[in-house]
Amino acid sequence: MSEQGETGEAITILLVEDDAPTCWRLQDALVKAGYEVRSAGSLGEARQALIGGAPRVLLTDLRLPDGHGVELIRETRQRCPDTEIMVISALGDEESVISAITVGATGYLLKDAFPTDIATTVRDLVAGHSPISASIARFIVRRTQGAAQTSAEPLPGPALNTARLTPREIDILWGIAKGFSYAEIASHLGLSKQTVPGHIKNIYRKLEVHTRGEAVFEAVQQGLIKL
Amino acid sequence: MSGIAANAPARPRRRLIASRLVPYLLFQVLIVVATILGLRLLQPIDPDDFALNGFSLREDGVARAVTVPHFTSSRYSLADPPLYTGSFTFRAGDTAPGWSVFLPRFSNAVEVAINGVVVLDSRRDANANRPDRNTPQITSIPSSLLRDGSNEITVRLYVWGPLKGFLDTVYVGPDAALRPAFETRTLLFVTLPVAFSAWQSILAVILAIMWLMRRREPVYGVLAAAMVLGVIQAFIPPPVPPAPVSRLASVLLASAPTESALIVAFAVLFFGWRWPRYGALLFVPGLIVFVVGLIAGPPLPRVLFVTLGIPTVGLCLFLMACVTAAAVVRRQDAASFTIGCAVTIVLTCWIHDMLSVFEIVTNERTFVSRLSYSAMLVAIGAGLTWRFARALNQVDSFAGQLVTRVREAEERLKASFAREEERARAAALANERTRLMRDLHDGLGGQLVSIVALSERGHESASITDAARAALKDLRLVIDSMDDIGGDLMLALGSWRERAAAQLRPHDIALDWRVATPQGLPLHPELRPWHVIQIVRILDEAVTNAVKHAQARHITVTIETIDDGQGAYGVISVADDGRGFVGETASQTARGLRNMRSRAARCGSAFELSSDSQGTRVRLQLPQVFPDSDAAAD
Repeated sequence: MSEQGETGEAITILLVEDDAPTCWRLQDALVKAGYEVRSAGSLGEARQALIGGAPRVLLTDLRLPDGHGVELIRETRQRCPDTEIMVISALGDEESVISAITVGATGYLLKDAFPTDIATTVRDLVAGHSPISASIARFIVRRTQGAAQTSAEPLPGPALNTARLTPREIDILWGIAKGFSYAEIASHLGLSKQTVPGHIKNIYRKLEVHTRGEAVFEAVQQGLIKL
Repeated sequence: MSGIAANAPARPRRRLIASRLVPYLLFQVLIVVATILGLRLLQPIDPDDFALNGFSLREDGVARAVTVPHFTSSRYSLADPPLYTGSFTFRAGDTAPGWSVFLPRFSNAVEVAINGVVVLDSRRDANANRPDRNTPQITSIPSSLLRDGSNEITVRLYVWGPLKGFLDTVYVGPDAALRPAFETRTLLFVTLPVAFSAWQSILAVILAIMWLMRRREPVYGVLAAAMVLGVIQAFIPPPVPPAPVSRLASVLLASAPTESALIVAFAVLFFGWRWPRYGALLFVPGLIVFVVGLIAGPPLPRVLFVTLGIPTVGLCLFLMACVTAAAVVRRQDAASFTIGCAVTIVLTCWIHDMLSVFEIVTNERTFVSRLSYSAMLVAIGAGLTWRFARALNQVDSFAGQLVTRVREAEERLKASFAREEERARAAALANERTRLMRDLHDGLGGQLVSIVALSERGHESASITDAARAALKDLRLVIDSMDDIGGDLMLALGSWRERAAAQLRPHDIALDWRVATPQGLPLHPELRPWHVIQIVRILDEAVTNAVKHAQARHITVTIETIDDGQGAYGVISVADDGRGFVGETASQTARGLRNMRSRAARCGSAFELSSDSQGTRVRLQLPQVFPDSDAAAD
């Protein structure tokens, strides 16, 4: 069994993880699921691997021996816009995941996830679904509340601009944070179940600060800069 | 014992009063002496070289020889006044031209004629006729009237009762010799009262404004009223009896007793006593004189004034002396002492005048009460203004002090608040650390030790994996629970659902998630991380039991809010379709149960477990308010 993209070629995954056993574990699960996996143990190796060609999926740890995974994500997002990026995290803590999301990552993968879950997550990601965990959704919606309440004080944790999220998207995040399934959220909000993943993808896009120009645009939008 | 205790404070008190009153009274005696001496010295010196003392008085058709100063009987008619006839010698050659006749004191009015020609009629000068003023009169004698040798002078003395008529020594001589004495008397008895009255009117305005701005201090109003009365009395001259406005004059007679009553009221209020209700009686004489003046004919108000008004003035002065003496004893301050001395002076002057009226002391019938009273009022007014200004200064400095104090207090408060906040933060941090340690110890620590033990004994990897997964799960739980969920337990349960689903997926167990009420669980602002950890651990334990022991295919988590009218509370149920606790070792079950129960108790929840062959059901009923302290922890 082999996972293939639209063109029929095998889906390539670049796996960046410095801890060898973890790396093996993830690689085994992904190879078993039919993906073509290249692995890198450091930021330098990962950059080398990227020169060789853009992978379909980048899975990266954040704490790497020669740098931070966020840099890699940012670079990859700029150089290979079609690559889906996901963070590998031991705990899935919001602190690191959110900072990765703002530079272009889509969700995270737990290092101890069961092999079937690892494969499912990557398959969904390639299929265009953007998984979002309850804790990340919670962090984002709490941040939208916090932004509404205290605009003067900078909030703890990574910088996150939630200003572009629509009320509907925030409602969806609330549902996820409270543990509702997509179907339940869709029925509560009067949506069709299929549109929910699209909304979530939009949420990820909106949380991402793509370019310098966009950052300036957003700053103007929020009144941080006066022209 | 009690008698001694009761008497003990009375005796020193009496001694204290005596020790304060006696020196004060002695000092007042000194003041009386000084006042008498002062009055003597004040007596203007008249040019005795030109005095005419021998007169022939024709009164009621009878002529007799008299010497002036001379009192005549009181009368109420202006017809047929007493006529004094005397003579003086004028030498045309040896003296300077320009002779005058000078009358230092007379009451009530005079008409002077030289050689049968009237040269002076004081009735035309209303002020000169006031018996309470000692107005002198001087007039030059046209030289054509003077004959070389003996000249005749006649003085008609117009008297209106009830006081006796009085004619002081008459002086006839060169104007240059008489004028200085006249000027001195004018200054003392005419100009000075006018100056005092003007001063009084200004103070009346100032005090009235003070009172208007500070209504709760009637003392200013009372004094202002007294001063207004005094000013009216001084500036509206009582006309001579035949004048058409004699009724006004009668009414004005009421001013003196009313004024003195007002001054007593002022003193009482000024020294901080309450004005007694019966104090109104003091105003009755003034009122009577006023009413009688309004309705009765001319002689009666004057009689009433002398018999009722003047004694009232004396009574008021005496009361004033008592009030100020009491104030001196009680307060021992400059204000009461000064006013006390002033009252003594006025009282002495009043007695002096009374003695003079009753001819007990022979003097030239110089009335000084009014003058001394005016001086006293002016002194009081000035003192009050001074006190007011000083109070303003005190307010200023007080305001300054207040600002400083407030700033200091604010800074102290800020500092203590910061300290308190720091301490509270440190305490909260220490608490959180303790709980975190305990939580990590409860879960993660035990699981890691178990991993170590398992690997040391070369166990199969599956059990090590399980232990490690449990440790990771617990670590995530602890981290997750530290997050601020704003009292919404649903947010914690959302994460838990994900973890539980991931845990159940390899075992092919379906997790049904039923939120029975739209909002899920009620909000709990008091919810703390350690509550969340306890609840989630109970749910974890229930799920783990279902996986490990019950061989369940479905686990249903039901979340609902129940509101039975006494406040809403949440209920979380975990039910499986396994085979219950059949075949389980009693000790394992008992330990798991005990754990869940104690955790539920620690966060104030009710825990129920029912198990049969159809499955196991755990029901956790959350409290309406989560307990603040971890009471059941130890």
